[in-house]
Amino acid sequence: MKDRNSLTLSGTISRRTLMVSAAAGAATLAMPKVLRAADKPTLVTSIRSLSNPYHAVWKTGAEAYAKWAGLEHVTLVSEGNSEKGIADIKAMLAKTNGNMVLNSDPNDTPDARPIVEACAKAGAYVVTQWNKPADLHPKDFNPNYVSHIEFDGISSGKTIAEILFKTIGGKGGIVALGGLISTTAAIERKKGLDAALAANPDIKLLDFQVANWKSTEAFDLMGNLLTRFGDDIKGIWAANDDMGSGALEALRAENLAGKVPIVGVDGIKTAVDAVRTGEFACTVTSDPFWQGGMGLAIGYNAKIGKFDPAKEPPEHREFYGKAVLISHDNVEEYYKTNVESKPEMDWNDLWGRVTGAIRA
Amino acid sequence: MTIDTEPLKSVSDIERTTLMTFIPGRIAVMFGGRRWRGLAPLAVLVVLCVLITIANPNFIELRNLVRLANSAAVPLTLAMGLTFIILMGSIDLSVEGTLSVAAMVVVLLAANDSNGNDYGWWAVLAAVVAGTVMGLISGLVQTMLRIPSFMATLGMWFIGLGLSVYMLGGSAIRLNDASIRDLALYRFLGLPLAVWVAVGAFALAAIIQYHTRLGRHILAIGGDEDVTKLSGVNVTRVRIAAFALAGFFFGIAGVLAAAQLGQSHAVIGDGRLFAAVTAVVVGGTALTGGEGGVVNTLIGVLIVTVLANGMILLGISPYIQQTVQGLMIIAAVALSLDRVRLKIVK
Repeated sequence: MKDRNSLTLSGTISRRTLMVSAAAGAATLAMPKVLRAADKPTLVTSIRSLSNPYHAVWKTGAEAYAKWAGLEHVTLVSEGNSEKGIADIKAMLAKTNGNMVLNSDPNDTPDARPIVEACAKAGAYVVTQWNKPADLHPKDFNPNYVSHIEFDGISSGKTIAEILFKTIGGKGGIVALGGLISTTAAIERKKGLDAALAANPDIKLLDFQVANWKSTEAFDLMGNLLTRFGDDIKGIWAANDDMGSGALEALRAENLAGKVPIVGVDGIKTAVDAVRTGEFACTVTSDPFWQGGMGLAIGYNAKIGKFDPAKEPPEHREFYGKAVLISHDNVEEYYKTNVESKPEMDWNDLWGRVTGAIRA
Repeated sequence: MTIDTEPLKSVSDIERTTLMTFIPGRIAVMFGGRRWRGLAPLAVLVVLCVLITIANPNFIELRNLVRLANSAAVPLTLAMGLTFIILMGSIDLSVEGTLSVAAMVVVLLAANDSNGNDYGWWAVLAAVVAGTVMGLISGLVQTMLRIPSFMATLGMWFIGLGLSVYMLGGSAIRLNDASIRDLALYRFLGLPLAVWVAVGAFALAAIIQYHTRLGRHILAIGGDEDVTKLSGVNVTRVRIAAFALAGFFFGIAGVLAAAQLGQSHAVIGDGRLFAAVTAVVVGGTALTGGEGGVVNTLIGVLIVTVLANGMILLGISPYIQQTVQGLMIIAAVALSLDRVRLKIVK
């Protein structure tokens, strides 16, 4: 009995020790890495996670800009947790005393409001991307809320669909893999596909299925779709490249890779490689490198007074960025400049990729 | 005059109980009563197959059966490991973390498009070892620090996920080793090698459960841990061994997943935990432990896979597929467990 008691006790002690060391570790992490000089603003990037290729490239772009501008840069990761995302930003605002420029991809649509309000209150400059409520406008928070950037999902979905239709010769059956049902990007890209289908009556949409943005789900789904439609499937439309690459591997398992063209959105490396080998017909990217760097550049230029946000036209405050199409024609060049080396960006060209104001 | 109310009260109690168990009781009788209860998941599977075949004869085409086997390979291997843990009455939430670590190790050590390594099949071995070590740590944390398996493995899940995010630098890395890719692409007797590996994993799990001391001790712990301990079984050692064994299967599944997708990224395991738990439970293994086994799990995995395949073949809208899946899970569990015997439902 005594033995067991001491065993239990030893367990308790080690657990407590563990807690203490964990707390100590957390405290160390929370300490500021460098003490900043008061005059130069800190660049802050707030993104969802580093576990997806998209945001990893975003961070690379942000770091490239920070290096170019000679400023300190901090990346905050929300891990898909809205509260953590907002709390981290508020902590940074307190630490920098508002002397910072934030480029944020808010975890969820409603998050944009508290983020913008906190920045405006602290006097920091903020640029948001992708997600914001429809009634939240940069012009209501002059000068702190500089811009909001999105990419037109309808036009992306439509562009890749048209290229797919052209690749399969303008007629035949296709299957489509959609993203998580409730997300804006999934809904918009599907709208684009529908628009392209309406304009091409000879193309038949055999089935639209949802693979929740994931290659693993697309892999299983594609096998099942092959059973149902077999050789009737002439092409595959995927709402993102990750699902497209899952579908590609399912085709490969059946010796069909390269015979059934796939199109996707995002421009991840796997997809770019597949465009080079001809297994993908095309992919389109919002260019996260540009998003990560230029978001900070726009905010920083407003902060140092290069331009006055209040005097900018509406299409500089809420705009669609220009997506980059990667197809057979330009893939080798894209590969050389974006994959084999880091892209060269003209960080002074703030408004070069504006394609128009966001639809109300 | 006094009336003794005691007998009356107890009669009404009995009546209430009878009423409450009347409906499940009827269902039980309909399906042949308690004796055939164990076969209920199999019956569900057969009925499902027959219904789908009637609706779309493509289902029993050889090509489709091969595809079914192929998409069942990873879930089956995962679920084999998980079965032992659930049989003990514990849970292992580290499925996705361990799987992504194994997939990360195999991709980074074999020929890939990120570094110069090319260790071939040593990479596979290393991945399986990594999975086993993850499981071993889960077991040690649980028994030595006396942390419930739910929390211990939740921690291991995040540790594993964090590790692969860090090692992969957040991006997807391609697996270029042709011989490892052959696990998914090369076919032996018409079936991809991955399916044979999964069949091997099943055979191994069956041998462990039915023919080794470890298997029996695991079942005994799930039945009643105190009694098992008093019978002289070293419960701590069995628990650690079971978690390491689960990690071993997760490691194999990680290699298969990487081979199938031809790449590895940190979220390669996304959604696998839930699928595996569903398969184990639908197969008739009780979450409380001590009941069920790897054969049940095989049927559970097949039910889940056939259902996913069938819904596409029947052209069920993606917007209601999850609802159908939920209904099927409830139906399968309702049929496979003897609800009447349950005194408490938590």
